[in-house]
Amino acid sequence: MSSTLEGRELVVVREGRTILDGVSILVRPGEGVAIQGPSGSGKSTLARALATLLAPDAGAVLLGGRDAREIAPAQFRTRVAFLAQQPAMFEGTVLGNLGTGPQLRGESLGPAQARELVGAVGLDEPILLREARTLSGGERQRVALARALANAPEVLLLDEPTAALDPDAGERVVALLRDLRARGLSVVMVTHVDAHARALGGTLYRCERGRLAVDA
Amino acid sequence: MSYAHITLPRLLLSLGLIAVAIGLSRRSRLGLERALLWGALRGAAQLIAIGYVLLLLFNHEHPAWVALLLAVMLVTAAATAARRVEHGPPRSVLFPRAIAAIGAGALVAVVPVFAAVVPLHPWYEAHYLIPISGMMLSNAMNVVALVFERIFASARSEADQIEALLALGATPRQALERQVRATLGAALLPTINGLLTVGLVALPGMMTGQIVSGTPPEQAVRYQIVILYQLVAVAAVAGLVAVAFARRLLFTSRAQLVLPQR
Repeated sequence: MSSTLEGRELVVVREGRTILDGVSILVRPGEGVAIQGPSGSGKSTLARALATLLAPDAGAVLLGGRDAREIAPAQFRTRVAFLAQQPAMFEGTVLGNLGTGPQLRGESLGPAQARELVGAVGLDEPILLREARTLSGGERQRVALARALANAPEVLLLDEPTAALDPDAGERVVALLRDLRARGLSVVMVTHVDAHARALGGTLYRCERGRLAVDA
Repeated sequence: MSYAHITLPRLLLSLGLIAVAIGLSRRSRLGLERALLWGALRGAAQLIAIGYVLLLLFNHEHPAWVALLLAVMLVTAAATAARRVEHGPPRSVLFPRAIAAIGAGALVAVVPVFAAVVPLHPWYEAHYLIPISGMMLSNAMNVVALVFERIFASARSEADQIEALLALGATPRQALERQVRATLGAALLPTINGLLTVGLVALPGMMTGQIVSGTPPEQAVRYQIVILYQLVAVAAVAGLVAVAFARRLLFTSRAQLVLPQR
C-alpha cells in the first residue's frame, strides 16, 4: 500500500535567493527516483520541501492526491520518511533509537520487530544494545534507515545518504535502497554520485539552479 | 523602632567595600573597574530614588499610584529579560512575551497569597504589595531570561536532533522535549537551591530586614516561608509560559522548525 507523492510548482526563496524555482515532480508508488545536481542547485531543499520540513513560498506537496496541508504533520511524516545527510542519533541504544517513531505515537516496538528491522538494513542483532552515538557513519545511516522503517512509511526521502560514507559502505546502502524499492517502497534519493543514482534504478532527474529536468 | 540609624557619612563609608573590589580588579587586570563603579553608583541611585518613591507612595496611598509603580517594575523586568538573547529573535519579539510570562508568574504567586495568607487592608496596601511583588518580578525576570537565553541556543545547536524527531512524526512539543527539560532545570535551579539552603547558608533578605527593623523572628520566619513558596510558584509559572512562547516562535503551525533570524 503506497501512495503517490507529488511536488507541484514548488518555489522556495530564502534571504532573497530563489532556491527552488517552480519545481514539479511525481513519484509513483514503488518508483525509484534519483535527483542529481551540483551543490547549491536546490536538490536538498527539494527533498526537505517534499518531507514538509520546510514550507515552500509557493506550490504544494500532495500525498495520494491530497494536499499535505490537509494532513496532520505527524501523520504525513510517518507515511513519508526523511533521512538527513548525516542523520542525528538520539541518546541511548540502537534499540531505543529504532523505537522512537512508534513511541511518539504511544506504541512500542517489539523485540521481534526490532530484530527484523536491523536485519532488513543488513546489520547484526548485537548492534541493538550498542550506544547509537558510538556508531560509525555507515552504521548510523543504516540505523537511521531502520528507525524510519519502524514507522512503516510508504515513501523514503533521502538527502545524500552516501555522501559521508566510504565507497564500499555507500554502495551497500544503495543496494539496500534498491531492495526496499523491490518490496514496494517508493524511494527518492538526492545524490551527487552518478553511479549511485543509476544503481538505484528508476527515473533520473537533474537539478540545476532551482529547476528540475528528467535526465536522459 | 529600635534599629541603628545609618547616617549619610556612614553610608559613604560603605563605598570602601566597592573600593576593595575595584582595587582587586585593577591588581588582577580584570578591567572591571568601570563596571563596578558604575554599578555601585547606579544601584545606590536607584535604591535612594525608590526609597523616596515609596515614602511618597505610603503617604498618598492610592490604587492608581500603586498600579503605576507595579507596571514600571514589570516593564523594566521584561525589558531586562528580553535583552541580548544570543541566537534568539529580536528584542521587539521577546519583550511582549517576557511581559506576559513575568506578569503571569507574578500574578499566580501574588494574588492568592494576598487574598488568603497575608490579607491586605486596603487591598492595595503598598507596604506589602510593592516589596513582595518586587521580589516576585525579579525572580520571574531571572527565570525568563535564563529560559530565553538557553532554549534558542539549544534549539540551534541541536537542530538536527529536533528535525530528526519531526521527520519521525514528532509534534513540536515532543521534538523539543529534551531541550525544554534541560532549560527549565537550569532556570529553576537557583530557586530550588534557595529552598534547600535557606537558613543554612543564607538568611534571606526580607527576613533579615524584618528582624533588623524589630519584627519578632518567629513572624519574620513565617513571612519568609510564604515568600519562598511564592518564589517557587513564580519561577515555575514564568518558566513554563516563557517556554510555551519560545516553542511557538521555534515552530510553524505545520510543525516545521524555524530558527530565529537576527
